[in-house]
Amino acid sequence: MNSQENITIFINGTKYQTQNGQSIMQAADHLGYSIPRLCYHPQLSVEGACRICIVEIEGMKEFQASCSYPIQDGMRIHTNTTELRQARRDILELILDNHPLDCHTCPKNGNCELQRLANILGIEERHFEGERKQYPIDDSSPAIIRNPNNCILCGRCVRVCSETQQIHAIGYAHRGFKTVVMPSYNQAFDKSVCINCGQCINICPTAAFTEKKQTDEVIRILNNKDNITIAQIAPSVRIAIGESFGIESGHNFQQELTAALKALGFDYVFDTQFGADMTIMEEAAELAERYFKGENLPLITSCCPSWVKTAEQFHPDLLPHLSSCRSPMAMLASLTKGYLAKKNHWDLTKVVNIAITPCTAKKFESSREELFLEKDIRCIDYALTTREISWIIKSSGIDLSRMKGQDFDNPMGISSGAASIVGTSGGVIEATLRTFCEKYLDSALPPLQYHESRTTKGIKEATIVINDKKINIAVANGLKSTHSLMDEIRRQKKHYDFVEIMACPGGCIGGGGQPYAASLNFFDQEKILQKRSQALYAIDSSINIHKSHENPAVQQLYKEFLGTPLSELANKLLHTQYSQKIPCGIIPKEVIYDINHSK
Amino acid sequence: MLNPLDIIKKKRAEAINRIIGKGYFSTIRVYVGMASCEIAAGSKEVMAVFEKAIKQGLNDVYLSQKGCSGRCNLEPTVEVVEENKIPVKYGLVNKDRAKTIIDKHIKKGQVIEEWTIQ
Amino acid sequence: MDHSVTPQYKIILCWGSSCQKLSSKSILDRIHQKIDELKMGNNVDIILSGCLGMCSKGPILIINPGYYIYGKITPEIVGEIIEKHINQNKATAAYLIEEDHLFNRFYRIFGDVKFYGRQMRIALRNCGIIDPESIDDYLSVRGYESLAKSLALFTPNQVINEIKASGLRGRGGAGFPTGYKWELTAQEKSSEKFIICNADEGDPGAFMDRNAIESDPHTIIEGMIIGAYAVGAQNGIIYTRAEYPLAIDRLHIAINQAKEHGFLGNNILGTNFSFNIEIRQGAGAFICGEETALIHSLEGKRGVPRTRPPYPATKGLFNKPTVVNNVETWANIPVIIQEGAAWFSSIGTKNSKGTKVFAVAGSVINTGLVEVPMGTTLKEIIFDICGGLPDNKTLKAVQIGGPSGGCLTKDHLDIQVDYESFAEIGTIMGSGGMIVIDNKSCMVKLARFFLEFSQSQSCGKCTPCREGTKRMLEILERITTGNGKPEDIQKLLRLGNTIKKTALCGLGKSAPNPVISTITHFRNEYEEHINEKKCATNDCSALIVYEINDACTGCSACIRICPTKAISGIKKNKHQINQNLCIKCGDCFDICAFKGITRR
Repeated sequence: MNSQENITIFINGTKYQTQNGQSIMQAADHLGYSIPRLCYHPQLSVEGACRICIVEIEGMKEFQASCSYPIQDGMRIHTNTTELRQARRDILELILDNHPLDCHTCPKNGNCELQRLANILGIEERHFEGERKQYPIDDSSPAIIRNPNNCILCGRCVRVCSETQQIHAIGYAHRGFKTVVMPSYNQAFDKSVCINCGQCINICPTAAFTEKKQTDEVIRILNNKDNITIAQIAPSVRIAIGESFGIESGHNFQQELTAALKALGFDYVFDTQFGADMTIMEEAAELAERYFKGENLPLITSCCPSWVKTAEQFHPDLLPHLSSCRSPMAMLASLTKGYLAKKNHWDLTKVVNIAITPCTAKKFESSREELFLEKDIRCIDYALTTREISWIIKSSGIDLSRMKGQDFDNPMGISSGAASIVGTSGGVIEATLRTFCEKYLDSALPPLQYHESRTTKGIKEATIVINDKKINIAVANGLKSTHSLMDEIRRQKKHYDFVEIMACPGGCIGGGGQPYAASLNFFDQEKILQKRSQALYAIDSSINIHKSHENPAVQQLYKEFLGTPLSELANKLLHTQYSQKIPCGIIPKEVIYDINHSK
Repeated sequence: MLNPLDIIKKKRAEAINRIIGKGYFSTIRVYVGMASCEIAAGSKEVMAVFEKAIKQGLNDVYLSQKGCSGRCNLEPTVEVVEENKIPVKYGLVNKDRAKTIIDKHIKKGQVIEEWTIQ
Repeated sequence: MDHSVTPQYKIILCWGSSCQKLSSKSILDRIHQKIDELKMGNNVDIILSGCLGMCSKGPILIINPGYYIYGKITPEIVGEIIEKHINQNKATAAYLIEEDHLFNRFYRIFGDVKFYGRQMRIALRNCGIIDPESIDDYLSVRGYESLAKSLALFTPNQVINEIKASGLRGRGGAGFPTGYKWELTAQEKSSEKFIICNADEGDPGAFMDRNAIESDPHTIIEGMIIGAYAVGAQNGIIYTRAEYPLAIDRLHIAINQAKEHGFLGNNILGTNFSFNIEIRQGAGAFICGEETALIHSLEGKRGVPRTRPPYPATKGLFNKPTVVNNVETWANIPVIIQEGAAWFSSIGTKNSKGTKVFAVAGSVINTGLVEVPMGTTLKEIIFDICGGLPDNKTLKAVQIGGPSGGCLTKDHLDIQVDYESFAEIGTIMGSGGMIVIDNKSCMVKLARFFLEFSQSQSCGKCTPCREGTKRMLEILERITTGNGKPEDIQKLLRLGNTIKKTALCGLGKSAPNPVISTITHFRNEYEEHINEKKCATNDCSALIVYEINDACTGCSACIRICPTKAISGIKKNKHQINQNLCIKCGDCFDICAFKGITRR
């Protein structure tokens, strides 16, 4: 039967015409029935594991999972019979019976899908309580805490890690009641291939994965007045933080957030976008150098720490293509400690850099020794996620939306519009090209005309033609498409000059540290990324300075301190090198080659 | 070109000839159960007894392994088959019984009734 | 016993329902009468067999040695036949029929044994009569003739129609009509299709598949090749357990022999049909017997089931159309092609055709593999074929279908073996495990045993099976250790019903069956465990209490043997057992020579 065709179905006795080819759940969603669900997620493959979304189909002996069962012409579906309600309730109770009873002390309290579902399905008493699982908590990773005791085995994390990211850092181990999600060989998370992107945190309905909180240390540091505390706010935080306070996504809270941070006791609040302008300056220069020499092309962006770890583990042969530029966060931090502190004669041991980011991997990035100012001196001391800073603000009794707005501190508070869009997929490449074209090709960047890559799904491509010069670019977000793009580059099927990679869906706006979804309705969640992205572009157009090289603070810094992009000093403070990493579970390609040939 | 039916007919005839060539029409055929359940019950030892006897000059015996006929509680099983006689099926055959089967049944034609499967 | 006085002739009379209708009964009377007349009672054994599959020529009478088959006999003529054959050693040619069924050879050897006489061996027709490592042996019993017949005389569609018309249903347990499954795959347009033989046999006590592969591997291979021809598959996989090393060896041998003879590989038997088979070993997960989990395992993934539809017939291995059938199903295919759908469908009941293999175990004299026509009663299997229970024990229950099946009671003995009648009474055909239980066994403990198995083998994917069976097991554990609560039976039924209706795969859906069926038929035992903390069969060791009675002579043998020093007392005085230390091992009970210890 044609999937475009309309067919008749009955839901709870009411007759509907709907398009064929849908699952019962999809059809019901469109018709206004919200069948309770848990393991289903629209971005992921259908698992059919939790069995919460069961429905009764007339003529069938057993209940069927509506997420996976396709509708058929004339099908009579019941979503609400007495027996069905009891079965659904009992299944949820079975999940709860093997789940810690600690809602009020749980980091997910109030944001937990299981909690909401327990309320919706009316679990008011327990019938089947018994043994509960007990596993050690893995807090070895600098970014992510894995707590299998909270896990309800819906498998969303496993699917997001293997389908969206194709990292396969976690999988199921053991059978039956002893089933547990863990990294391969049950190794500690920091030893695993996990790239710290935090998508597992965002997608987990409970608190089996959470970010490694640094809130308590930060509060302690803020309360010690000897410290010189410097905050920096990433672009994607300001347009998403409102969601934590019940305000619709897409509202820019830059000034309120700055004021709130000041109220919390930060001495300086800088803009990560200033760091982004610096990154753009350096990266444009790097692109120019490689482009005109024709060496090591494409240049691949390296702002994203998850992507950098991915490249080190899975694409070590392409590491020479990675930009040597540090990320905006790292550049800003490096400049505050390596330039501002010296200029103001601050005691470096008292300067504390705290980055507010949408990202969990920034916690990992800040621990990388490559980015230390000097031995044992970190540039970034703490990286807080949007969720963490929201909690600090709330717990300090500050109402973000009623804060009287304040501007960033100078000199690192001025930024161009270009710097704001680096938070969204395609933004870094566009911002860099604006500067590259004007500075090195003496022409304005023409509007980018993207098209979907013909060979690889999920990749945007464009070709910029300026006079006799052609620049081929590609943009990928989510590591699944990144892996295929890297394969294309490796096979040199198509020539690219400049490639932008962001590990999270949609870029930093969809980072693993962003506010949890406010509702159980996945339709709303899909729109959130769109709204956040639009908000960043709105900031871009609202700022008069449109390109990074036109930022007076940036110009001043080069004049006063760094000289030119790629200067020796710039190289020391703003650039770095990466090398191959072989965590347990990865067999380097050469070894695979050897194994195959020794047979 | 030959039709599949002709090919299979030919193959079957060839196979039967090969079996006959191995002495199928010797006076006595002996089958020893050799599925893993029978082996676990000790049929390899039983097989060895027959093999040894043939090596030592027991003539006119066609010895073959066979699969399991499903008599779990009577394994290992051994069949002694002679043309136009009811095949004799022995159960719970061990080394000693195998030797006795050779001495009494195969050599002297005396069926050992109490060991047969009824 | 002297051989000379033992019966020389064995008369086998078909006792199948069709022959019975055609006056087998009066024929039997006449045979007895005639043999008495001839005073040959000492030289003739009369055996009543199950359906011999020659119904159209019935009633059937077979005389051994020689396996002479007489057809369309009547009470009037049977006397003459017997007299001529037995007294004058002359066969009556007019009634002799030349029936060369594929399974005749089995009965030429085993037909006179009661255990086999009542069976009908189709899938297991060559098991125990050919050398499984010799393709010559297989060819000599008309091996690969069905393949040649399919290739020469049938189009793929005709093969499918033949299987459809035969009424063959999947022998793995669920009983989906095989022909329709094949048709679905055949209709899919795909450059690549697969045939899978599911030999991942995992039920406790079931070994039909292992036996079939070890004893007659070529039959399965031939069935698969025919299936591949029918649906248009290029590759076949036999998925078997690594714990079956001999079966794997023999399959390797058979596949190589089949390749040498041109039954596998390119241009099979000179046609343009090509097909290959490889063997894959499972790591021993019970769940990999579920077809979608099996496919995941073959793809290199964790062996867990997925939701259906889509069914493997349309989207299977590597998302290609795939036929998955179990060993016994494949073993039936060559016979159907050879003997014809009409013949095959004449065996069995209305909706269940052919035969079914059972692995009969437990409290029964003749344990073993039994293949009977569908429609045979449990009574016939347990008492006529397997010889009933040993030591005058009485039958309490029959557990069918292993951990997925249910328990039946002696009231169900007249139930005919087929898919529908089993489903009606809350069990399933399953893959064919049959355990006979006598009145020394506790049904609650039995249910707990099977649930323990299902729970330990649950893949952990869906909630009802992963969590639900665990909770049911906990309840059963507390009942069998004397901690049951009055509401526990209700809870077991509620959970069991939810799991049955909501679990993802067949394993989960059927896991509560042993519990639900034992509650249905033996509720009193549950109640006794819960309310009186007592196990009438003394099977639940935690509920047993050992006490010393007045017969105690104070010999102190029990004191010496007790491993936990729970018994104390002065010599020649009555001893005592400290119940807190007693681990109910029963050693004192066994050693006491004076019946001085009471068990209750």
